[in-house]
Amino acid sequence: MLVQDDLLAPEVVRDPYTYFARLRQLDPVHWNERWGGWLVTRYDDIVRAFRDPARLSSDRMAHFQQELSPHDRERLHVLIRYFSRWLVFTDPPYHTRVRMLVNKAFTPTSVERLRPRVRAIVSELQDHVAHRGHMEFIRDFAFHLPVIVISEYLGVPPQDREAVKEWSDETSRIFFIRADDPQRRERSQAGLVKLLEYFEPLIHARRRHPRDDLISALVQAEERGDLLSHDELLATCTVLLFAGHETTTNLLANGLLALLRHRDQWERLARDPSLAASATEELLRYDGPVKATFRWARVDAELGGRTVRAGDRMLLVLASANRDPERFPHPDRVDITRNPNPHVAFGHGIHVCLGAPMARLEGQEAFAALAQRFPGMRLATDELEYHPTIVSRALAELPLEW
Amino acid sequence: MARRLRIRVDYHRCVGSSICVLTAPGVFALNDRGQSAVIDPAGDGVEKILEAAEGCPTLAITVEDEDSGERLFP
Repeated sequence: MLVQDDLLAPEVVRDPYTYFARLRQLDPVHWNERWGGWLVTRYDDIVRAFRDPARLSSDRMAHFQQELSPHDRERLHVLIRYFSRWLVFTDPPYHTRVRMLVNKAFTPTSVERLRPRVRAIVSELQDHVAHRGHMEFIRDFAFHLPVIVISEYLGVPPQDREAVKEWSDETSRIFFIRADDPQRRERSQAGLVKLLEYFEPLIHARRRHPRDDLISALVQAEERGDLLSHDELLATCTVLLFAGHETTTNLLANGLLALLRHRDQWERLARDPSLAASATEELLRYDGPVKATFRWARVDAELGGRTVRAGDRMLLVLASANRDPERFPHPDRVDITRNPNPHVAFGHGIHVCLGAPMARLEGQEAFAALAQRFPGMRLATDELEYHPTIVSRALAELPLEW
Repeated sequence: MARRLRIRVDYHRCVGSSICVLTAPGVFALNDRGQSAVIDPAGDGVEKILEAAEGCPTLAITVEDEDSGERLFP
């Protein structure tokens, strides 16, 4: 064995960068027997894989169903029905059609209009904790910002946010695989059912009385005479709500941690908030919220000198691509002025994260405002723990003081 | 006479989302590196070209009026 093959081993979860750097050197397209798939760790191979949707499928539900017994397929039929309509798990032509319908709402220009509101929410969240002199950043700040922003944008009323957030977290259990949760499929489906029940009447209401929100826009979205079907609308509402939650929380927490551990960069951002945009890109590159993403080979394919067989799955390790010294000079250094910075924290190609402009906006506003308001902020402990998951980079807590 | 446009793609930004190719297929195509390339700046009307530029998730496309130099997007 070249390296430890347990992707959930404590040392791999704590420091995936050292682990994947070794793989990138020793065997950049590596068969992991225990996980049952290929680990792809070089920047160039990963970008090539992202640009080849014709040969590498994103259809997670097709493969998921194959692993289930007929009994489980029946039991999890709601989950299968709606997840198989989530953009992230689909291939063209379905993916192309729905992505084009939804894309306009998430372009940098459409999302830029939210900046003043995002700034105001960041300021309110800071006001809540400022007098205390300490906070647990995830619970007190990083959880709230993305939920408020996506809920307002979609058209979810404030009084429903908490419930919707809870159902979204339940839904996430199947993806951010937690080794210690044997009920995660059932809980995921139960959360999804709640979200579907929630969105159903909201969609009907917006159909009758459209407002200035995203659900109304989706109901009316029309591209070349094409409309979203009711199932597609429901699936799209749930995925948009879901997708920005945990990932953006982790972007904020990982980014802030990196800044506080590289004090000169924190001080630099505090002095010059105009660096917010390039700082956010660098924090996404250095320790982004998503460690890896999946693809399945449709046909036998060559990648990085290896032959991947039809049906094989692969893990495209974004966390490794973003630290590849072949692409980024001094990749383990945090430089908030790095330019160019063609990181793949949001993926690449046709599946590149739809919500990226919104996540960027939230990151820019939060990092700059925190550095300005709390220049003396520091970690309250050096003992940090990460959730044991393969795909996300998720701190359990981030206690801070100032 | 039709308006002549200068369309540029920033290769540091382009992530090959294909949105521009799907929106204005007369103007944009993916090159062999999987990034957007301008194949014919007059291949579609101004409206479609601006829609393609606005639809780009990374703001990789800039559009100028060739004659007046006026910046049309972003």
